[in-house]
Amino acid sequence: MPAVNNAERPGPITLVATGCGTAIACVCALGLGEIERRLGGVWSVVAVGVAALLCAALARALGRLTAVVPSGAGLLAFLSRGLGRRWALVLMLPYVALVLALVAVEARIVGAVNARLFAIPPAVGALAFVVFTWAVARSGVRPGLRAQAAATGALVIGFSALAVGAVVAAARRPDFAAHLLPAPPSLMAMLGGVGQALFLFMGFELVTNQVELVRAPGPIASALSRSVRLLGFSTLAPEAGGSGLAGDGWLTPQLGLGSASGNPLGAAAIGILCLLASFTSFNGALLTLSRLVYALASQGMLPRRLARMDARRMVPPNALAALLAAVVALTFLLSTHALINAVLAGSAAAAGLVWAAAVAVRERPPFVEPGRPRRRQIAAFALAVLFLVFGVSALAEGVVGTSPARVEVALAH
Amino acid sequence: MTVVAQAQDRLGQALACFVDAYQSRPELVAEQRGWSPIIVLAASDADARVVVSLEDGRVARVGGAAKVPTLEVTAGLDILCDVLMLRRDPNEPYLFGELSVLGAEADFVRLDYIVSRLCPQ
Repeated sequence: MPAVNNAERPGPITLVATGCGTAIACVCALGLGEIERRLGGVWSVVAVGVAALLCAALARALGRLTAVVPSGAGLLAFLSRGLGRRWALVLMLPYVALVLALVAVEARIVGAVNARLFAIPPAVGALAFVVFTWAVARSGVRPGLRAQAAATGALVIGFSALAVGAVVAAARRPDFAAHLLPAPPSLMAMLGGVGQALFLFMGFELVTNQVELVRAPGPIASALSRSVRLLGFSTLAPEAGGSGLAGDGWLTPQLGLGSASGNPLGAAAIGILCLLASFTSFNGALLTLSRLVYALASQGMLPRRLARMDARRMVPPNALAALLAAVVALTFLLSTHALINAVLAGSAAAAGLVWAAAVAVRERPPFVEPGRPRRRQIAAFALAVLFLVFGVSALAEGVVGTSPARVEVALAH
Repeated sequence: MTVVAQAQDRLGQALACFVDAYQSRPELVAEQRGWSPIIVLAASDADARVVVSLEDGRVARVGGAAKVPTLEVTAGLDILCDVLMLRRDPNEPYLFGELSVLGAEADFVRLDYIVSRLCPQ
């Protein structure tokens, strides 16, 4: 068996990149496009800004949770300690299931991007992406944290540069001012828009898992706050662009960003960035979820067969195979605009629910400090309520609200 | 015997039990060739702490101080003793936030693998 070298402890930049790398995926562009389509102009910017502020407050709460329970199991461990195991599992189940569904949507987007860039059939491109990423995880090769940081850096810089290019290009249009200030949306649409914007930050909290490697909660708390700031910037920039994301092909709005920037290399660059974003997100999800499936199976909560560990590669092969099967099935099942919208809305709602629980748990033993001021507890309660309201609104808007086009995804290719 | 000494003694005995179980499985020891961690186990609710060092997969030393452990496992004394005496799978307290591990994931996964091989299903 090969020797295992101790990984170096990640620095602050690497930690921030870890938080953002999990959150930034191609499906985020779809979320941004949906927000822009529903709200538009400055209202989209407001929605993302409000979501960023809420997540910044959540980051502070998560910092405290990590300091008291420094666990790689993250939210499940925090919620279990604060609310009990049963409630923690009930709250986490939809969240985990929707992460799988998001991976499937991501695979569809990769298929669509490949189809547009390289004329590969979408289904083949999607399947090849899923199987390749799974094979990397199954081989036991784990991209180093620094490699992930470099990939995330390229993503943030690349998308931000293209967004700035899109802003400059849009500013030359005569209808730019009108586009920036459309008619105010309804209250329900605005609430739903903020809820949908929460989805853009989903995954940043996974940086708490790195506390095992960092061995100190302080850097994790800083990385959580910085990740929210960076994600806020990188999502506000395209929204401020006010173009592109709601225009070109429904499933691949990021390609519209490339053409809106006016840069001939934009589409190719976006295509490569998309593949990179998808790979880092799916790889991270596979590794985290396979570990969770393995641990649950070893407890008898899932079939025991899934708890087998490959002694040479130190990966749970059966858990990974089960995840591959689930993602492939979902990739083919989630075939319509309506279903994908439901996944995005459901993810926002699930994130809102879990984050509300995390904020509430922060005010309960063993996390609450003795003598904590009552006003802080009231503020935390209000924050939890806001997460719930925005999450439910996103669900209502995404599932039962009217959608401009409910077409087969195949048409978007 | 003081309460502190009792806790330390209990943890030490549990570790000895685990080390015996591990060393009685030569194929498992051979699988860990190339792995030389220093593992600290500390009780969160008592003043008790034990250290075990492996060299090339074999138990080299039990006890002593560890300045920079490869892995640091922390849990309540009862949980630690149950895990070391193979009465409880460590995944359960880990998942639900009652046992924490500080160190690189590769080392943590390997330790988990060893315990899961020793634990009766």
